[in-house]
Amino acid sequence: MAPRAEPPDGGWGWMVVLSAFFQSALVFGVLRSFGVFFVELVAAFEEQAARVSWVASIGIAVQQFGSPVGSALSTKYGPRPVVMVGGILAASGMLLASLATSLTHLYLSIGLLSGSGWALTFTPTLACLSRYFSRRRSLATGLALTGVGLSSFAFAPLFQWLVSRYAWRGALLLVSALSLHLVACGALLRPLSLREDPIVGGPAAQLTSLLHHGPFLRYTAAITLINTGYFIPYVHLLAHLQDLGWDPLSAAFLLSVVAVSDLVGRVVSGWLGDAVPGPVARLLMLWTALTGVSLALFPVARAPTALMTLAVAYGFTSGALTPVAFSVLPELVGTGRIYCALGLVQMVESIGGLLGAPLSGYLRDVTGNYTVSFVVAGACLLAGSGILITLPHFCSPASASKPRDLVTEAVDTTVSQTRDVLGRD
Amino acid sequence: MTKYSNLFLESHNISLTEHSSVPVEKNITLERPSAVELTCQFTTSGDVNSVNVTWKKGDEQLKNYHVSATEGILYTQYKFSIINSEQLGSYSCFFEEEKERRGTFNFGVPEVQRKNKPLITYVGDSVVLVCKCRHCAPLNWTWYSGNRSVQVPLDVHMNEKYAINGTNANETRLKIMQLSEDDKGSYWCHAMFQLGESQESVELVVISYLVPLKPFLGIVVEVILLVAIILFCEMHTQKKKMHTDDGKEFEQVEQLKSDDSNGIENNAPRHRKNEAMSQ
Repeated sequence: MAPRAEPPDGGWGWMVVLSAFFQSALVFGVLRSFGVFFVELVAAFEEQAARVSWVASIGIAVQQFGSPVGSALSTKYGPRPVVMVGGILAASGMLLASLATSLTHLYLSIGLLSGSGWALTFTPTLACLSRYFSRRRSLATGLALTGVGLSSFAFAPLFQWLVSRYAWRGALLLVSALSLHLVACGALLRPLSLREDPIVGGPAAQLTSLLHHGPFLRYTAAITLINTGYFIPYVHLLAHLQDLGWDPLSAAFLLSVVAVSDLVGRVVSGWLGDAVPGPVARLLMLWTALTGVSLALFPVARAPTALMTLAVAYGFTSGALTPVAFSVLPELVGTGRIYCALGLVQMVESIGGLLGAPLSGYLRDVTGNYTVSFVVAGACLLAGSGILITLPHFCSPASASKPRDLVTEAVDTTVSQTRDVLGRD
Repeated sequence: MTKYSNLFLESHNISLTEHSSVPVEKNITLERPSAVELTCQFTTSGDVNSVNVTWKKGDEQLKNYHVSATEGILYTQYKFSIINSEQLGSYSCFFEEEKERRGTFNFGVPEVQRKNKPLITYVGDSVVLVCKCRHCAPLNWTWYSGNRSVQVPLDVHMNEKYAINGTNANETRLKIMQLSEDDKGSYWCHAMFQLGESQESVELVVISYLVPLKPFLGIVVEVILLVAIILFCEMHTQKKKMHTDDGKEFEQVEQLKSDDSNGIENNAPRHRKNEAMSQ
């Protein structure tokens, strides 16, 4: 197939959005709804809760740390075979888990095997999505990421029903069948060759060039800080509300409100990211700063109306920053290197994610309430947004601002270099 | 009264007024033999002396109750002791004015908590059946299998099959190992108290791995079909494109060959250029 000059921005791209939607649902929806199995596994294996929660933690850790592997393989072989293999791995992990007779089996099957499968699916799909879109990239990413939120709504009751009918073994077996749809999603990822692809070379070359790329490193640092603060409310908001004396039903309702505004935020921000001229990094900075502010204000709010407003604000802004965070990357490093870049970012930001919740818990144990944790989370987000200001072209006027220009610049420089060489010949 | 002085004392009371249209009931659980004091009070605007006060256990009239009155409120008290299971039951005080007002005290042994959902397990697995009662400490627990009318005690000496232990006095755990389809059915746990016993059932369902395997295989076939359809559609559209684009593609290839900017078509030209650069 002759390489395209620029991303198609539509056409088959919308099928890729569909594929990414189902993939985020099948990867993160399953992970987030794993709590349903947690209770059953504690009873079935007669183990402590802490030991059983390692199953999900290992899965998440393998998914994040394995992202660069998924990216490197996608650069070499294209996303389609990698994602399809990932889907088979993820489904096999769940299948073996349904036959488990000890907790170690679960660590290896769900944690290691399914985790590796997920590592091979999520990052390549999002990177592929970035390659298919340029003008509507943020909207496409936002729409695809709504899969995460919607699946959390749908999968928890579904898994509960499966467990009540087939017990945990049968339920895991059927979740394995569900995860097999990742293979179908992978089949939708038609390979796309863009102009920059041969210039940027193979995975090793790309990784080295990325590690020397100043803006990329700054962006990664910013995203890691953001990730540290981002997950804290997901884990601790319920406990904080209970500390304030809320009853469980109202607290659960508030969390649903957050989830809905998160969903709306993702789509609105996606649309806004494409509609507003200028580097998308500005929007990311805006949403991150606002999320940081709303987080830091949480301890100050006591009245139910104030808390509800803050919850809506937090949900909206934190959802809004997700699609934009993914859209900034192709602008920085170009669509040619996007697979490797995304993999690296995921791996590094996961450190922030893994540290965030325990840090918050520790602060709570030391100080007795969640005030300090929320303030620290807000501070991490604000620090991250501060680093984003240092990204190139942040403050320049709208003329140098179309997202594709950065990519075209990179390509043109290399093209002119090769032209010089030919001239000498 | 002195021979009952080492018993625990239970005091309960019920208040009724002339406006109480429904009988008032109180449920009381007793584990051990106790001395009981029941008091009913009745508030009325009419004449307290015209009210007829009686106590009954079930249908049986009781004697030895005290009645006293202050302004507008009538008090009646019945003292007795419960030392065996026949003395449990419903004790009621009646105030008859024009209408009859009734207060009832229901005495019973503590109940075991009911599990509504059946437990689903697989052949070859083990399962733990738990029976709990809140705020009670039975003398012992026993397990039976079967249905409510015909219950067979479990042979707990089969150590590879059954194991009973309980960490607290208010619960018992029956572990059944190496499940087979014959193990399915209802299991009854009996909590024994000095004043009687209460029982509850837990239902166990044992299924084989084939039960979820059928929907699983159905979904796998569906996924394979989906993948086949997607890949087939793509090959089909590509073939169509190639047939219609044949003429156009030839022109494009010619154009690209003459354009020497970045030689995307194959690696060979790039290699030549790289060698040129290193010279």
